[in-house]
Order: sequence, then C-alpha cells, then structure tokens
Amino acid sequence: MSAADQWNLFLDSFLKILIPGLKMTLPLTVVAFAFAIVIAVIVAMIQYAKVPVLTQICRFYIWIIRGTPLMVQLAIGYFGLNSIGIKISAFPAAVLVFSLNEGAYCAETMRGALESVSTGQLEAGYCVGMNYRQIMWHIVLPQAFRTAFPSLGNSLIGMVKDTSLASNITYAEMYMVTKRIAGKTYQFMLLYVEVALIYLLFSTVLTWLQRWGERKLDSYGGSKG
Amino acid sequence: MALLEIKNIKKSFDDLKVLDGVDLTVETGDVIAVLGPSGSGKTTLLRCLNYLETADEGTMIFDGKSYDMAHTSAKEIAEIRKKTGFVFQNYNLFRNKTALENVTIGLMVARHMHKKEAEKIGLEMLERVGMLERKDHYPSMLSGGQQQRVAIARALAANPKIIYFDEPTSALDPELIGEVLGVMRELANEGVTMIVVTHEMEFARNVSNKVIFMEEGKIVEQGSSEEFFRNPKEERTREFLRLEENRTGLIREEKK
Repeated sequence: MSAADQWNLFLDSFLKILIPGLKMTLPLTVVAFAFAIVIAVIVAMIQYAKVPVLTQICRFYIWIIRGTPLMVQLAIGYFGLNSIGIKISAFPAAVLVFSLNEGAYCAETMRGALESVSTGQLEAGYCVGMNYRQIMWHIVLPQAFRTAFPSLGNSLIGMVKDTSLASNITYAEMYMVTKRIAGKTYQFMLLYVEVALIYLLFSTVLTWLQRWGERKLDSYGGSKG
Repeated sequence: MALLEIKNIKKSFDDLKVLDGVDLTVETGDVIAVLGPSGSGKTTLLRCLNYLETADEGTMIFDGKSYDMAHTSAKEIAEIRKKTGFVFQNYNLFRNKTALENVTIGLMVARHMHKKEAEKIGLEMLERVGMLERKDHYPSMLSGGQQQRVAIARALAANPKIIYFDEPTSALDPELIGEVLGVMRELANEGVTMIVVTHEMEFARNVSNKVIFMEEGKIVEQGSSEEFFRNPKEERTREFLRLEENRTGLIREEKK
C-alpha cells in the first residue's frame, strides 16, 4: 500500500473509529462511572460509619473485585450470566461489570478521603445542632470529594482505556471496530496507532477537565488551611 | 434557679480517672474561668457538658430540665446542644464553607430557618466579632485569630443559653490572642453566660466573675475571681498561680 493510500485509509478510518468512540465507548464510560461513584460513596460511608454486617459485606465485595481480573469479571457478567439463562446484552453487562469493578476501587479512594476529614469537623457539626446525616451531607462528604477528586479523575481516565476490554464481550466500541478494519486491510500498525491516538485524545480531554475541575474546587478554598 | 447545675460528674478513659466527682453551678450571666495544669480534666469537663464525651456518672440540670449524664438519649442531647454553643481550641470551622456559611449552616440545616433570615443573623454575628468584611472568605484564607472570631460568631448564632470555650486562644500566635480575648470580653460585658477553659490569667482575673481551679479531675478551689486571685486558700492554688505568674513574666521578658 502506497503512502498516499495509507494516508487515505487513515483519514477514512478516523471517523469510523471516532464515532463508535463517541457512541459506544463514551456512554459506557460515563454511565458505568456514574454508577461506580454511587457504589463507592455508599460502600465508603458504610465502612466509615462501621455499620455492622454491612461493613463485612463491603469488605468481601472489595476483596473479590480486587482479587480477580477485569477480563474474567466481564466474561462472567456476559457469557456466564447468559449461559445460566440470565439474558443480558453486551451494554448492560458491560455497565454492570465496569461499575462494580470501578466502584470497588473508588470506594477505597473515598474511604481514605472520608477518614482524612478531621473529627473536629464532625464535632463542630454536632455543636451547631446538626445530626450525623446532616453533617455527612453538608460537611464531610463535600470535603472528602475535594480530597478524592484527583484520584477519581485518574480512575475515570483509566476506565476509558479499560473499556477496550468490552470488545471481548461483543460490545462494538472503538477497539473492536479498529480490529475489524485492520483485519480487512492488514494495516495493523497504522490502525492500532490510529486508535491509540484517539484514546490519547479522549484521555487528554479528560485530563484537561480534571485540571479545570481542580482549579474550580480550589477557588472555593476547600482544600487548604 | 441556676441555669446549669452539675453534680458528681465522673469520667475515666480506660484506667485513667479524668473527672473524679466534679460539681458545678452556673448562674445566668456568669463568666467562669476554669484553670488548672494540663491533664487536670478541664477540657473533658467541658466536652462532657456538651456530650462530645459521655460521662460515666453524674446528673445535670440545665435550663430547668434534669438529665442523667451517663444515659442521655440522642434526642435530649440534640435538645441540649441546640441551647449551647461550643468554641474549640483549633476553631474547627467548616472548611468547605465561607465565614458567613459557617455561621448560618446550623440555623438553616439544624433549625430549618430560611436562608434570608439566617443570613441576617449571620451578618449580625459577624459584625459583632468584627469579621463582617471577611464574610465570603473561606477558613483557609483567614488567620487563626480571624477563624476563632468566626467560630465565636457561629457559637453565638443560635442565641445559646451558654457558650463553652475550650482553650480558645491556646492555638493562636501571641500577637493574635488579643483580638479573640477582646471579643470575649465584649460578650462578657453583654451578659453572655460562658465557661472558659483557659491559661490566660489576665482574662480569668479581669473578665470572669468566677474561677474554678482543677487538678487531677477534681475541683481544688473555686470562688469569685477577685477572692481567688487576691486570697487563694489552697496551697496547690497558690503554687499554680505562682508558676503561671513566672511563666507570663518570662513571656513578657522574652518580648522585650
């Protein structure tokens, strides 16, 4: 293939890869991450408050997730579930597995952030008449989020890249599309570099957003002092 | 009838007896300075009064109601806390809230006051402690003295029957102590009831009307501050006052 043909292939494929990136990779990432944050906050708060029984369940959940490969979790969540008669299509299966997986890691981040908020903040909350729930909601959680924000941002960026694994459970995100084009054209180097560049684009934009968010939060003065 | 009456309060941490049968009576308008060497139980006493620690034993009559301090229900504790203010040694301002929000959040969240009404009170309180200009500043942007003044405004906001001060100037740089003590002196003049755990002898001597001297979880001596400083009865009190005088004397000399 001539250099000009290669260039044309590159241009042709660009949108063919980018569009599934926007239509498949991005929704999976956003939806799964949103669920992951919800799971993380709930799990972290249960552990922070040391709720009996539930704390043990949370620890068990984190132990399972952290001790097994994401790829295997995906296989169980899609092929495994379908094989025992639980009909689930690729997108919900991917959302389920990614949010459970990311939720466990983010829960650890959130727990650390919650524990870094000084007990003086809680005591001051009690002294102005608030109850535990009100203090958590208005004082402790916002401060913990500020502390956890950079790590959570990193987790999100990590997850964009990990969604390429969803191609293994028939979810037609951008890596899968790239593989198909490459298989047809035999231009493996060109196409895999191209998809790498698109992933790089995604994570760069997210890094910008992360920095912007951090600056925004800093201007509220929450972090220092 | 006294505003607050404590009888036989006891508290241990593991094997360590921190409070060993303390009695205390507070009349409305009293400014009581609690003195004593560190480890004497002064701070724990204050924290028990507001249930930041739970006493092992003791009864409390506060604002006409009687409580068993070892078995006070969450509801009763909430009721007591809504009538008291607390000022911490290290301020403990809510770090994610501005000065004004620090003052208003208790009113809005715990007392369900409307924002406008709460802000009106908040601004009033900030003015009272001379912090109105800094109302939109976050704690991280304020000096220790300024943070403590905001904390005092926060404690005042709900118009409490009594305010507890736990070594309010101990974490401050020497040059910032004056502004906080100045605010407290004004509150005393306005008739705010206060219990102040402190090492500031000048404050105890000139602002408070009663002094309590504690050691090893017990009250060694108490009385009107005039009497206490002019004519201390116990040998331990005399020794403590002598040491404190030397200490402040040394500080003064260092300043020269």
